[in-house]
Amino acid sequence: MFKLRSWHAFSGFSFLLVLLPLLTAVGAFLSYTEQAQWSLYVQESYTWRVVWFSWWQATLSTIISLALALLVARSLARRPHFIGRWLMLRCFSVALVVPSIIAVYGIILLHGKQGYVNQLWYWLGGQPRSYVYGLVGILLAHVFFNLPLAARILLQRLEAIAPETWRLSSQLGMSSTDLWRHIEWPHLKGVLPQLAAMIFALCFTSFAIVMTLGGGPKATTIEVAIFQAIRFDFDMAKAVYLSLLQIIFCGFILWCGLRLGRPIDMFASQGIGHSKLSLRPDTQSLMSKVHDASVLLLATLLVLVPLVAVVIAGINDAWLQVLLDVRLWRAFVNSLWVALSSALLSLLMAWGLVLAQRYWRQRHRLAAEAVEWTGSIILVVPPLVLATGLFIGLRPHVDVFAINLYVVVLVNALMGLPYMLRVLSVAYVKVSSDYDRLCSSLAIYGWQRLRQVEWPILRRPIGLAMALVAAMSAGDLGVVALFGSPDIQTLPLLMYQRLGSYQADAAGVTAVLLLGLSLTLFLVLERALGGPRD
Amino acid sequence: MIELKHVRCGIGEQQFHYDLQLPEGEIVAVMGASGAGKSTLLNLLAGFIKPDSQVDGEGEIYLGGERVDTLEPSQRPMTSLFQEHNLFAHMSVYQNLALGIRSNLKLTTQEQRQVEQALDQVGLANMGSRLPKQLSGGQRQRVALGRALVRRKPLLLLDEPFSALDPALRQDMTMLLKTVCQQHQLSALVVTHEPRDALALAQQVVFIAQGQVHWQGTSEDFLQQTDARIKAYLGENC
Repeated sequence: MFKLRSWHAFSGFSFLLVLLPLLTAVGAFLSYTEQAQWSLYVQESYTWRVVWFSWWQATLSTIISLALALLVARSLARRPHFIGRWLMLRCFSVALVVPSIIAVYGIILLHGKQGYVNQLWYWLGGQPRSYVYGLVGILLAHVFFNLPLAARILLQRLEAIAPETWRLSSQLGMSSTDLWRHIEWPHLKGVLPQLAAMIFALCFTSFAIVMTLGGGPKATTIEVAIFQAIRFDFDMAKAVYLSLLQIIFCGFILWCGLRLGRPIDMFASQGIGHSKLSLRPDTQSLMSKVHDASVLLLATLLVLVPLVAVVIAGINDAWLQVLLDVRLWRAFVNSLWVALSSALLSLLMAWGLVLAQRYWRQRHRLAAEAVEWTGSIILVVPPLVLATGLFIGLRPHVDVFAINLYVVVLVNALMGLPYMLRVLSVAYVKVSSDYDRLCSSLAIYGWQRLRQVEWPILRRPIGLAMALVAAMSAGDLGVVALFGSPDIQTLPLLMYQRLGSYQADAAGVTAVLLLGLSLTLFLVLERALGGPRD
Repeated sequence: MIELKHVRCGIGEQQFHYDLQLPEGEIVAVMGASGAGKSTLLNLLAGFIKPDSQVDGEGEIYLGGERVDTLEPSQRPMTSLFQEHNLFAHMSVYQNLALGIRSNLKLTTQEQRQVEQALDQVGLANMGSRLPKQLSGGQRQRVALGRALVRRKPLLLLDEPFSALDPALRQDMTMLLKTVCQQHQLSALVVTHEPRDALALAQQVVFIAQGQVHWQGTSEDFLQQTDARIKAYLGENC
């Protein structure tokens, strides 16, 4: 007989939290399908230009990021004694949680009209050019985020190659080309399709970067077009039309990605860079040294220098004036609140779903899979589209500007959910297979089991996942811009406004604060929740 | 003669110091506790690790009167065989052997025949088109041995080559190694943990302890030793 237990209520609540926003959004979209004049939008050349640009920039970003990542990973693998290696890998691992607006700011500082590159160019006798706004800037920003991500995963693969293989290759007298053909490429090619699919999906739905660096008629993606339709044109029907298009495209991209294999864990590459032995036969030649030096210099210019530029720009006289501004502190508190709430909500959602998944796994496989799909909804309905649906659906009933932070928390929690769910479910399966029998023989149940057995094992993955969700939510500039009102600020939004209003010094200080907040959240939560490292 | 003249190297905290002379054309078993420095000896010979800076006449390695420690690993007259990871997983058995002759895999007709012959000798005729994953552990080691044959280097360095195999397979492989070495007049250094293997394979035993050659002699003598360290290593039952 079915007996109601407390976890049923908890699970049900999680499902409700995940599905309700989605149903609201879908309902809002459907209510517009009758009055919208689809044919009008289909004929509009603007729409197709936007669609084309979305695919084009994502394709280019993916190809460039992956190609560079292959070079960088190879050079890093080849130089275990490179002095800047530790710093570079550390920067690569935190690049993931750098807020997009900060990356954009760093890229503008470096490549903008008054940027370092143009200053150097002017000093050499050239005329300063503006090239950062548009496709070039978008690509630079996408490479900033995806090059480190891909390079870490590829480096992990390279470091997993057995030392015997390298010894064998040096005995067989293999050249650098032979090593690539016979050893590296066979080890890397398996992971490339999934990596490409993941980067493509990230770039296709990237919003803040395209909004700040693109946005003109020539460089607008579907996500930004949705935003513009709502905020500038007040054309809800158009927003709905574009949202539906985006859902179809994202569904297609996800489908392609799944056909290529199981998604890779983009944060799993934690313990890399420890290999100290270089057994490769191709490290001594001058050619290889010059090659590696230029590749690593390029990676430094693309990833490290923008971050350094942000920090340098933050050192100015505006500190006191910025810090005494009460708006800044309100924004700071809001961002902190959003970050912690999103992480906690994401964890609760994932936990509820995992409990249901565990129950169904033994009874009905399909139902267990459905649970996982539920948690991945955000991959098909990207954050901005979901927010658009909520905006349209809730507008008749509530003051959407007043609830904006709650929506930000909800959408960010959902964004973290696929990752949180996977981490938690993998860990749960492991706990279960390792200790279920032992626990029942020792009669450890319920709260004691959670405290004594599960928490010590789960805290590490949970800590990392919550740290990531918190840091990413703190830097979120998507939903908050859509729902944004002048009264309720977050740090990224404040940063965005200061960037637009030419308050260079104030922007610099705000940027350092925001960057500091994201990194601190990430590092502190990871340590505090994850517990001491071995 | 295979000769190491006071070859020193430090890895982490541990110091290694080898001073050793071995006859050519024989199989020599290298024994010793884990971490004593057996693999390090082989790695130094193969050139995978470099000795510490050398003083006059010290730190030199000779093979058949020729100095080899100044050569790159690929130029040294020896072939290594590891416990695993000897093969490239994406290449066929044939290609894995061909790699021993030319790394671009483009062989002349004569060289192709050489590969076929080697496959035949290690008992893998007609298996050339298989991939390593379609072979058993013993067959994979046969492929590696086949490659050692086509490379035609006078010295084989085997680092626990059969440790991962079942006892019966191990015996087969031991016999095969012995036959092959006799036929091609190869010298071999074999790191092994199994006294029985050492006895079956080798005329000579080198016992390594704490990074140095502790004892050297015939394999029969080795098992009769009363030396405390060797007894501790072998255990009471031997």
